[in-house]
Amino acid sequence: MKRFSEVNPTKCFGFLFLVVLFLLPVFVFGTKSYYLRIAVLVLMFAGMSNGWNLISGYGNQVSLGHAAFFGLGAYTSTLLLKYIGLSPWLGMIAAGLVSGLSSLLVGIPTFRLRGHYYALATLAFAEVLRVLALYFRHFTGGAVGLTVPYLGDSFWFFQFYGNRTYYLVGLFMLFMTLLITYRIDRGRLGYQLRALKNSHEAAEVVGVDTYRAKLKANFLSALITGMYGTFYAQFQFFIDADTVLGFWTISVKMALMTILGGMGNIWGPLIGAGILVPLDEWTNAVFTGNLAAVSRLIYGGLLIALILWQPRGLLYWIYQSVARVWQRSRGIEKIGGNG
Amino acid sequence: MELLQAMINGILIGGVYALIGVGLTLVFGVMDIVNFAQAEFMMLGMYIAFFLFQVAGIDPILSSLIVFGVVFLIGALVQKGLIQRVMNAPMVSQIFLTVGLTMVLVSTTQLLFGATFRSVTTSYQMLALHFGHLQFSVPYLIAFGVSITIYFLLWLFLERTDLGRSMRATAQNRSAAILVGINDKKMYVLALGLGTGLAASAGAVILPYAYVFPTVGHQYALIMFTTVVLGGFGSVPGALLGGIIVGIIQSVSSVYLPTQLQNLVVFIAFIITLVYKPAGLLGR
Repeated sequence: MKRFSEVNPTKCFGFLFLVVLFLLPVFVFGTKSYYLRIAVLVLMFAGMSNGWNLISGYGNQVSLGHAAFFGLGAYTSTLLLKYIGLSPWLGMIAAGLVSGLSSLLVGIPTFRLRGHYYALATLAFAEVLRVLALYFRHFTGGAVGLTVPYLGDSFWFFQFYGNRTYYLVGLFMLFMTLLITYRIDRGRLGYQLRALKNSHEAAEVVGVDTYRAKLKANFLSALITGMYGTFYAQFQFFIDADTVLGFWTISVKMALMTILGGMGNIWGPLIGAGILVPLDEWTNAVFTGNLAAVSRLIYGGLLIALILWQPRGLLYWIYQSVARVWQRSRGIEKIGGNG
Repeated sequence: MELLQAMINGILIGGVYALIGVGLTLVFGVMDIVNFAQAEFMMLGMYIAFFLFQVAGIDPILSSLIVFGVVFLIGALVQKGLIQRVMNAPMVSQIFLTVGLTMVLVSTTQLLFGATFRSVTTSYQMLALHFGHLQFSVPYLIAFGVSITIYFLLWLFLERTDLGRSMRATAQNRSAAILVGINDKKMYVLALGLGTGLAASAGAVILPYAYVFPTVGHQYALIMFTTVVLGGFGSVPGALLGGIIVGIIQSVSSVYLPTQLQNLVVFIAFIITLVYKPAGLLGR
C-alpha cells in the first residue's frame, strides 16, 4: 500500500473524474431509459473487446472467431440455470472456464505455427459451433433461440428490473477487466507479448516461451469473453445461435471496436465501443427491412477506411495530433524567446 | 455400394472445391496475403451467372468464362486500389482490409438483390447417368469436368507462359524476382485478378445445383480453408488434392452422420492437418 503522502494528487483527481463520469448515466437517465440500455451495451462491448485485445492487440494473433468463446459462455450459464437452476454468478465462472478451455482447442494446434493459421482456425471454430448449436436444437433451442427463465428481480439469479443495476454490474465488470488487462499489460505476460509481437525470433532468443505466452493470453482472452457471454444472456434474457455465435454480430464487432479505438491499449476498446455501439443502434433503428444491410455496409466501409487511413486507431491519432500541436507551440515559444 | 457412391460424389464436388480454393492459395503464394473475401468473389460470380442466365439465357457453364473475365477485372481493381496499399503493412491490417471488403460485398449484394435464395433451371439439372447401381449426377459431372479443365488451363498458364513463370518466380522469392526485372506490382494485380476470377468461375459452375444468396460465401469459407491447408498453403497442385479429399470427407461423412454435421467432420480434418501436417500434403 502507498502511504497517503505518496499518492499523486493529479492522478487521484483524474481517477475521481472518471468515476463521476462513468456513474453519470445512472443519475441522468431513468432506469427504463433506452439510452441507459445503450450505455450498458457500451460497457459490455468495451469489456469483451478488451478480451479480444489481449490476444489480438497485445499478442498480435488475430482472432476472427471470438464469438465462439462469447457464445459458449452464454450457452454454458444459461443451460446451467435452465436445467439445474444454478445461479448465473456461478454460471459465469463456469462459462469463463469452458470458454478458456475451449481456447486451447484452437490455440494448441496453431500457436506453434506462424502466419494466418490462428485467424483461420478461430473463424472456422466459431462457425462449427454455430452449426452445432443449430443442430442440437432440443438442447440449445437452435435457430429459435433460448429464453432465460425469468425468476423475478433477484440478485442471486442475476436478474434485475430496469437497466440501472445492469449498468452498475457492467461498470464493475469493466473495471475488473481493465484492472486485469492493466496488470497483464504491465506484468510479465505483457512484456512477453510485446516482445513476440515485435519479433518472434528475438523473443525466443531472450528466453520467452512464445508458445506458452500465446496460449496464456488466449486462455485469459477467451475466459473474459466467455464471462461477458453470461452477462449478455442475463441482460437480454434471450440467446440464439446466429447472434451469440455470429461472425458479424460478435466476432467482427469486437475486432472493429478495438481497431477503431486502438489495439494493444487498454483504453482503445472503450473508445471504440463508445462510438460504435451508439452508431450501431442508430443505423439499426434508421435502416430497417430491405435497408438493414446498410449498417453492415457502413461497418465494412469504416473498417476499410480505418485500415487505410489510421490502422493504429483513434487514440494514437489523438495522441499524435496533440503532440504535434504541443511541439508547434513550444517551437513558436522558442523563436519568440530568441527574438 | 453406398460408400462407393458417396466417394464418387465426393470426388465430383471436390473438383469444384479445388477451383474455389486455388485462388486463395495462388494469392497467398504470390502475395503472402490471405484474402478473407475470396468466398465473396465466388458469390459475386454466382450472381453474375444467375443474371446472365435470367436476362440473356446464357447457360451458367458457358457464362463461367464471361464471369471469369468480369471478376478478374474487379479483382485487379481491388488489388490496385486497396490491397496494394497494405502490401507492406502488418498482418492485422491485411486481414481486416479483406474482412472489410467481405462486409461491403455482402451488404451491397443484399441491398441490390435482397436476401432471397435464387436458383436457375436448366434442362440437365435432374439428369443422371447410371452404371449398374452407381449414379453420376449430370450437373456434378459437368461441374467437375469444367473445373478440371479450368485447372488444367491454369497449370498451362503457370508452367508454359512467360507471365506464369514470372508469377511463380515472384511466389518463390519476391526480391530475387524484382532483381531479375519482374514488375512485382503487376504480378500482384494479375494474381488477385486470377484468384478472384477463378473462384467466381467456380461459382458459375456450381449454379446448376446450388442456391445463390448474399451470404452464401460464408458457408464455403471452412471448406475453402480446409482445402487449402490440407493441400499446403501456396501449392496449386495441393489445392486440387485438398479439394478432392475435402469433397470425399464431406460426402462419406454424410452417409453416417446427418448432413448438418458434415462441417464438423471437415473442421476436425482441418485441426488434424494443423497438428500433424501443418505444411499440408504438398506444401513447400
